[in-house]
Amino acid sequence: MSKIQAEIPYGTLDLLILRTLEAMGPLHGYAIARRIEQVSGESLQLSQGSVYPALIRLEQEGWISTEWGTSETNRRVKFYSLTRAGRKQLRVEIEKWEKATALVARFLESA
Amino acid sequence: MTPRGVLKRLWALAWARRLDRELEAEIEAHLEMAERDAIERGSSPEDARRRARQSFGGVVQVREEHRDRRSFRWIETLLKDARYGLAALARAPGFTMVVTGVLAIGVGANVAMFSVMDAVLFRPLPFPQPDRIVRVWEAPRPGVVNATSATEFLSWKGLARVFDAMSAETSVSVALANSDEPARFTGKAVTADYFRVFGVEPMLGRTFSADEEKPGGARVIVLSHAAWKDYFAGDAQILRRRVMLDGEPYQVIGVLAPGAFDRDETRFWKPLAFAPDQLAPEIHWLTVYGRLASGVTVSQANDRMQAINAALLPTKPARDREGTVVVARLARLLTGDGLTRSIYVAFGAVVLVLLIACANVVNLLLAKGALRERELAVRAALGANRGRLIAQLLTESMVLCLLGGAAGIGAAGLLIRAARPLLADSLPFTAEVTLDIRVLAFAAAVAFGVGLFAGTLPALRTSFRDLVGSLNGSGRGFSGGHSRTRRAIVVGEVALSMVLICGALLLFRSLLKLQDVDTGVRMENVITMSTDLPERAYPTPEKAAAFYDALAQRLRLAPGVQQAGLATQLPLQWITNGEGLLGPGNENIVRVRFKRVDPGYFRALGIPVLSGRGIQEQDREGSPRVIVINQALAARLMEVAGMKEPVGKLVRVSTPLYLEKKPFTPPVEIVGVIRNERVSWPGDPDPAVVYAALAQAPAPSVKIVVRAATAASTVVPAIREAVREVDPKLPVADVATMDQVRDRMFMGARRPAGLIGAFAIIAGLLTAVGLYGVLAQAVAQRRREIGIRMALGAASSRVLWNVLWNALGLIAAGLGVGLAGAMAGTRVMKSLLFGVSSLDPVAFAAACVSMVTIGILAAFVPASRAAKVDPVVTLRDDG
Repeated sequence: MSKIQAEIPYGTLDLLILRTLEAMGPLHGYAIARRIEQVSGESLQLSQGSVYPALIRLEQEGWISTEWGTSETNRRVKFYSLTRAGRKQLRVEIEKWEKATALVARFLESA
Repeated sequence: MTPRGVLKRLWALAWARRLDRELEAEIEAHLEMAERDAIERGSSPEDARRRARQSFGGVVQVREEHRDRRSFRWIETLLKDARYGLAALARAPGFTMVVTGVLAIGVGANVAMFSVMDAVLFRPLPFPQPDRIVRVWEAPRPGVVNATSATEFLSWKGLARVFDAMSAETSVSVALANSDEPARFTGKAVTADYFRVFGVEPMLGRTFSADEEKPGGARVIVLSHAAWKDYFAGDAQILRRRVMLDGEPYQVIGVLAPGAFDRDETRFWKPLAFAPDQLAPEIHWLTVYGRLASGVTVSQANDRMQAINAALLPTKPARDREGTVVVARLARLLTGDGLTRSIYVAFGAVVLVLLIACANVVNLLLAKGALRERELAVRAALGANRGRLIAQLLTESMVLCLLGGAAGIGAAGLLIRAARPLLADSLPFTAEVTLDIRVLAFAAAVAFGVGLFAGTLPALRTSFRDLVGSLNGSGRGFSGGHSRTRRAIVVGEVALSMVLICGALLLFRSLLKLQDVDTGVRMENVITMSTDLPERAYPTPEKAAAFYDALAQRLRLAPGVQQAGLATQLPLQWITNGEGLLGPGNENIVRVRFKRVDPGYFRALGIPVLSGRGIQEQDREGSPRVIVINQALAARLMEVAGMKEPVGKLVRVSTPLYLEKKPFTPPVEIVGVIRNERVSWPGDPDPAVVYAALAQAPAPSVKIVVRAATAASTVVPAIREAVREVDPKLPVADVATMDQVRDRMFMGARRPAGLIGAFAIIAGLLTAVGLYGVLAQAVAQRRREIGIRMALGAASSRVLWNVLWNALGLIAAGLGVGLAGAMAGTRVMKSLLFGVSSLDPVAFAAACVSMVTIGILAAFVPASRAAKVDPVVTLRDDG
């Protein structure tokens, strides 16, 4: 394999999904997966299907809400949108992520 | 996980199918859109479909992960395993029924026993703030408690601020004229605060007011709920009714709400008012209860009562001056030490039964597991991991145990219902034995525990077997590991049963010893009854004496009657009257039990007069007062007063008067000494007893003792007729043969023996089933080997012996362990045994013999089956 492909760091898929919904507004599952791939510039090795188990958990925690709508292919699909609690959670997750990366970065510099 | 998350997950569990459908729709739409996008970017339709699938990833994986994430996967698995388990059990109804039955016995006995234990020992008394209800006694000497005099009670009530309420009571028994035959109606005369002490409320009407406590107050009664139902058919107009008690009209002013008192023998309450002549401080006749003021502890109340008692001492009669006062919680008094111990011993026994039942279930599960090895091997080969297989086996045994537990609750319900009359007799009236929520919780815990306990070992053993080996093998293989475990379990069962059988046999030996004890009376063909004289019809001692005289004469003429006597207490019945025997100079010599008998009593019971004479016809009102004493008192007099020959000596005996509560200490002549008759438990020494002449000191209630020419019960109608001829209004009650009276005394010993005996029999049977199971399986597995040996010339008797020896080995090992366990375990029963050591060799030897017998009987069926193995058939079948 010539190109270095990154796997999604453990536990960050939730963060990516929440951020995507914040930026784009309501989306269905396929659009969320495509958007994550596009933003990452094809450097991400993501199984698109793995967004669905993540989505059901985020919904159960009340961070996103669902609504039935119609897809571009004229099918009934679920559209996901960020809730207020989700927005708050996103801030928390971003802060956690920044702290973690800053920590790792400091280690790498000092070495 | 947030609480919201947990709820949502549970919700997802319930809606799993819908969520699966929704996910399926999303995946399809996803793939469709991905395909369309790819086509737009110029892929061929085939290529587009492939690429869409590729970038989606594994559909099956997503589905699984979706399920894992959205709900508790283990619950889903558990439910699936449980369904699978139920289906498997339904396919093997015989196995299921045996296991459920065994568990129902074990769990049922435990639950029933627990409900008794809970009702008697753990649950608070069924009164409001029961911890505040106490009994207050006088204690003339350390360890001895006495009833209270009316003066004492009134002083306590006036001085003791530690009580919210204090009441005194005394038992009464009257004739209730409600139908043709007068019925005996037992009740209590109580002071007005009585119902406040117990916190009991009336359902209809009211309870007593302070006015009714004064002498000459209105004739009113309060009925118990049960009495209102049983005697007055729950008449709603009862408060407008007057009932005739001893021929006098009483107004019913209240009916209690249903409750604990319905299990007591008290049917009604009437006000207790102290007439001036009942205030004598020498007469101790009241039972005193108190309700502690809130925040007061029993020991504070005790301290306060000591202080009050000390202040009252100078006013007391000389012979009461040494005493103290004891305040004790009612709950402790109702459940004596003996009952507590019996209940714990019985509960220990049912726990052993449960352990044996568990052992049987383990054995059955192991046997079943061995049969399923191939199935499990196939599933392991198809990718099921070991953890999942263990979980599944455990779930299956759990389902089985829960079934057994449910059956056990049913069994316990039946047991409790069947034992209710027995329980009512042997437990305090405050104990209500029911299957309530606490008991059900206990049952659930037991069933769950048994499932875990009985399921774990088989699940581990079965799935740890070499699964591949079992697939490769013929499936007939003899699994040595299993059989070792199962044999060890049977040894354990034998040991546990031994402990129970030893315990039961010790109790039976003790019972036999008790029954062998000489009661000092002839009991064949003796029947007893009791009757009470109403105050109005018999206001004076002379009237009562005349009645007794007429009754005795009339009884002797009745057909079938050989001898007849009257006494204030039956033989073998404790004499509650305690009096003092004083020397000629009024110095207190001995405390004695005081019993009044007529001239026929000693003759009717064959009690020999050792010296002097018995009570005779000439000893009547007006002639010199005489008493007869028992051997024990003669010995005491010799010891304390150096009185070598008591007959002819003059002493004084404090004597209860007919109705008045006044001290009376007349000089009396000792005219005879009789051999001791038993008045108490055989383990206790005979007390010193004074027998006064009934005609010289009549009592308002007596027992009738009649010796019949033939069977005792045949003369009952004649006796009733005789009483009716003398006074048609008198109720006759408590009809019992002397044997029944004796049995009642032994009841305290017979019940534990019967109970533990029943448990021991169940344990023996369960052990026999376990032993049979192991041997039968061993024989089945060794058919081929046995066939070959027989083909090679082994005699079938040798084969039979071989199996029996095998069984005896197991039993012998179990006996060894069991005897050691029994020696350690039976010590707790020491106080329940009479005349038998808790290590009695006879009982232990008999237990060994019975265990070996049970074992050989259980082994005989598989052994003879082995001996009947036809080598030709066996070898051909396996060929």
